[in-house]
Amino acid sequence: MATYERYHCWSILLRLFHWMFALSIVFLVVTGFYISNPWTNTLLEGSASFPMATMRYIHFIAAYVFSAALAIRLFLYIFGNAQERILDILPVTRRNLNNLKMTFLQYTYLSGDHDERLGHNILAGLAYLLTFVAAVVMMLSGFFMLYPEISFWEGWGVLLFGSQQSARYLHHLLMWWFMIFAVIHIYLCIWNDCTEPEGLISSIFTGAKFKHKA
Amino acid sequence: MADNVSKTMNPQLDRRGFLKGCTMAAAALGLSEAMIPRLVEAAANAERPRVIWLHFQECTGCTESLLRASHPDLARLLLDIISLDYHETVMAAAGHQAEQNLHDTVNNHPFLLVVEGAIPTKENGIYCMIAGKTAMEILAEVAPKASAIIAIGSCATFGGVQAAAPNPTGAVGVQDLVSGKPIVNIPGCPPNPISFLGTILHYLTFNRLPVLDSLNRPLFAYGRRIHDHCERRAHFDEGRFVEQFGDEFHKLGYCLYKVGCKGPETFSNCPAVRFNDVEVWPVSVGHGCIGCTEPNFWDTMTPFYERLPMAKIPGGGIIDSADNVGKTVLGVTAAAVGIHAAVGIGKRLIKGKKEE
Repeated sequence: MATYERYHCWSILLRLFHWMFALSIVFLVVTGFYISNPWTNTLLEGSASFPMATMRYIHFIAAYVFSAALAIRLFLYIFGNAQERILDILPVTRRNLNNLKMTFLQYTYLSGDHDERLGHNILAGLAYLLTFVAAVVMMLSGFFMLYPEISFWEGWGVLLFGSQQSARYLHHLLMWWFMIFAVIHIYLCIWNDCTEPEGLISSIFTGAKFKHKA
Repeated sequence: MADNVSKTMNPQLDRRGFLKGCTMAAAALGLSEAMIPRLVEAAANAERPRVIWLHFQECTGCTESLLRASHPDLARLLLDIISLDYHETVMAAAGHQAEQNLHDTVNNHPFLLVVEGAIPTKENGIYCMIAGKTAMEILAEVAPKASAIIAIGSCATFGGVQAAAPNPTGAVGVQDLVSGKPIVNIPGCPPNPISFLGTILHYLTFNRLPVLDSLNRPLFAYGRRIHDHCERRAHFDEGRFVEQFGDEFHKLGYCLYKVGCKGPETFSNCPAVRFNDVEVWPVSVGHGCIGCTEPNFWDTMTPFYERLPMAKIPGGGIIDSADNVGKTVLGVTAAAVGIHAAVGIGKRLIKGKKEE
C-alpha cells in the first residue's frame, strides 16, 4: 500500500493566472472567429442589433484579461515559488535534462518510469513557455491593431510586424496554436491523472499535489 | 453657349481655381481657414521651387492621376507654384536638351526631387535605363543634391507591383537606397493628388516637411484608418455584410468586409478627401479597399477578395488559406492524441495494470 503526502505546489496567483488565461482564450477564439468571418447577417435595418460591435467588445475585454494573466505569469516566472520560476523548467541542469529525457520516454510508452518532481515536467514547462511567448506576440499584435494611431503602438507594430495586415495574419495564424495546445494540454492532463496518482487535475483548483512518502 | 472646350484646355489658372486649390490643400492638411491666406501667399511667391521628377519602373499612373484629374485646376496650380525642370511626361525638351536641363538644375540650384516608380537593383540595375544610365545611377547622382525627396506612388515608396514576390528585378523603393535625406512617402496606386499638393504647399508655407508616421507617410493624409471613416462603417458594426458581389446586400450598400475589403488595415484619407472631385472612392462605388497605401500590398493584401493572405506551406510549395492549414494541423493533432490514447489502453490490456 503506497502512502502519499500532500505538498503545496501552486500559489493562488498561479491558479488565478491559469483560469484567467484559459477562460479568456475560450472567449477570444470564439469572438475572434466571428470577427474574422462574421457568420450572421443582420437582415433588419434599424433593429438595434450590434453583433459585430458586441463581439469586438467581448474580444477586447477578454484581451485585457488575457494580457493581465500574462503579466501575472511574467511576475511568477521571476518572483514565484520554486515550482513557478522559469529556472525550474529550463533544461539547463543535469536533473532537468534527465527529466526531459524520461518524460519523453514515458510519453512515448518506451519506459514506464516516472521521474517524480513537484512542479511541471520539463516537456510541459517548455510547452508552456512557448505558449507564453506566442501569447506575448498575440498581445502585441492585438494592441497594434486596436491602437494603430497611437504613436507608441504604431512605432512598435510597424517595427515588429511591418503592417497592419501582416499583424492580422500572424494574429490569426497563431490563434490556431492555442487551440492545438488546448487539445494536447487537456489530453495529457487526463493521461497523467490516469497514470500517476498525484492529483494533477485537482492541483490547478487546490494548489496541492500528492507525492510518494519518502 | 459657353465655350467649354477652350475653357477646359486653357492652360491659364484663374484666380478662382487658384484659391480653390489652396483651400482644398488646406482642408486636406487639417489647417484652419485662417491659414489659407498664408498658403495662398506661399503659393503665389514669385520664387518657385525647382522640382525634378524622375520616372523609373512605373506605369505613369501617378502622373496621369495628377494631370488628368477631372478638376484641371489642381494640375495647373501645381505647375504654377513649382518650376518643373525635368519631367519626362510633360517637359517640352527632349534628348540632349532634356539631359542638359536635368544636369543644370542638379548642379547649380537647390531643388526638390520627386521620384515615381521603383528602382531595380538586381544585376546592377540593368532592368531600367534612361539615357544610357541605370535608375540606380541616376538616383545616386541626383538624390544627394536634393533638398528633400518625395516618393510618389506605391512603387517609389515600397517597390509596388515590381517588388511583389518573387521580385525578379530586385525592385526597391527610394528609402531603401537613399539615406541622410528627408524623404516623404506618398504611397497609393495612385495616391490622391491632394496629398501630394498638400505636402508641397506645406513645404512652401512652413519651410519644412509635414509630420510623418513611422513609414514616412505624412500624417495629415495617412494618419487615419480608412475603416474608421468609412461611410459603410455602421453596417459593419451592426453586422450587415455583402456576401458576394451583386447580391441583394451589395445593392443595399452594406459593408464590404466579407468580400475582402482591406479598409480595416489601411491608412489613407480616401473616405474623407475622395477622388477626382466627383466625390467617389472605391468603397463608395461598391468595391472593397485593396490596401494600396500599405507596404508590399501586392503580397500581403492579396487575394483582394479574401480577408487574409494565403498561407505558404514551407517546402511544399502549396498555398492555402490560414484556416485550412489550422484545421488540418488541429485534425492531425486530434488524431495523434487518439492514437496515443489507444496505444496506452492497448498496452495496459496486454501487459496488465501497473503494480502500485
